[in-house]
Amino acid sequence: MSNPFRPVLESLAKQRGVQASLIVSESDGLIVDASLRFGQDGDRVAALAASLFRKARLSAGAARLGDVAFFQLDAERGRICAVGGRSDLVLMVVAEPNANVGLIRVELLKALDMLA
Amino acid sequence: MADDIRRWSDELARDPGSLVFLRLGEELRRQGQPDVAMKIALRGLERHPNHADAHDLLARIAIDLSDLSRAALEWKTVLQLDPSHVGALKGLGFVSYQHGRFEEAERYLQQAAALGAGDSVAVALNTVRRSGEISSSVVDAQVQSDSRWLFADLLTDEQQTAILVDENGYVLGGVYLDAEGRDLAQEIGAQLSGISDEAVRATRHLDIGVWRSMTFETDVASIAMAPTAYSSVVVVAVSRATPLGLLRRLLDRCGARAAEWLRDGAMR
Repeated sequence: MSNPFRPVLESLAKQRGVQASLIVSESDGLIVDASLRFGQDGDRVAALAASLFRKARLSAGAARLGDVAFFQLDAERGRICAVGGRSDLVLMVVAEPNANVGLIRVELLKALDMLA
Repeated sequence: MADDIRRWSDELARDPGSLVFLRLGEELRRQGQPDVAMKIALRGLERHPNHADAHDLLARIAIDLSDLSRAALEWKTVLQLDPSHVGALKGLGFVSYQHGRFEEAERYLQQAAALGAGDSVAVALNTVRRSGEISSSVVDAQVQSDSRWLFADLLTDEQQTAILVDENGYVLGGVYLDAEGRDLAQEIGAQLSGISDEAVRATRHLDIGVWRSMTFETDVASIAMAPTAYSSVVVVAVSRATPLGLLRRLLDRCGARAAEWLRDGAMR
């Protein structure tokens, strides 16, 4: 069965420093589709990142800042970038600290329409 | 003077295209009739829209009417028409000074002085320089007595705002002003502090080390947060038009300021 998300995930996976790209249901944290490196625990990444995005979205909404379109978390040894807000689906990327966030952001925002 | 006004009024009635409206408008302004002077100046400008002195007159009348924005606009028009117009440079120096933009005021006045504006500008320059020094010390003193000023000198445009929130979501410093100028710091702080708990949890489980910053773009703003000393978090918000790289630099500066302030507080 063809998967409409596959080309987007593969395109993201080609970006330098990208370790995983996933499409996740924000409400339950379950993976819809993913491109993961061997040995990665996709379910855990999906659940945690979806929870983080949901929390950011709800907090921003409660603070009357509107919907969150792009989200980025930087940590010592990695980064998480995500886009969503058009539906229950969140497109996210886990990347190394030296990954080019600017490019990843552009690719994520380009793919945002697909999630609607 | 009443004779002059009558004579110039007659002259203008005979020849509506005459430049005598400049003298008439100025005299009416000096005699405390800014509304009448404004009508004369506007009528003159209809016939002479590119006359620098006509815009200068309008700016000075606007000052009398306490309309600083209009005055600045007119003086900027004057400088477009005549970049060496000393009156406009002095005027813009005055407006900048009134707005507390002392460096800008100094720049305008220095240009005026270089064009030979005279002693009055030298005196004004001294005043502006003294005010700039006083202003810095006032901000320092205000930060010590009111932590809402903590980031005041780091925020360079009115759409930038920053707050420092403790681990329980209570605001320690800064203000968060909405478009209507209301301070929403407590509300925003309480809502956003919960995200940092979630970040700690996610980074721990994903084994990617301590979180360093979060950025999110919403419909109305771009927001960045970073942990700082004593488990507190700095939150910076800018308009969506601001590049994310600039937001990041602002976050770093506010983070450093917050850490310094928290450490100084702990030492006292």
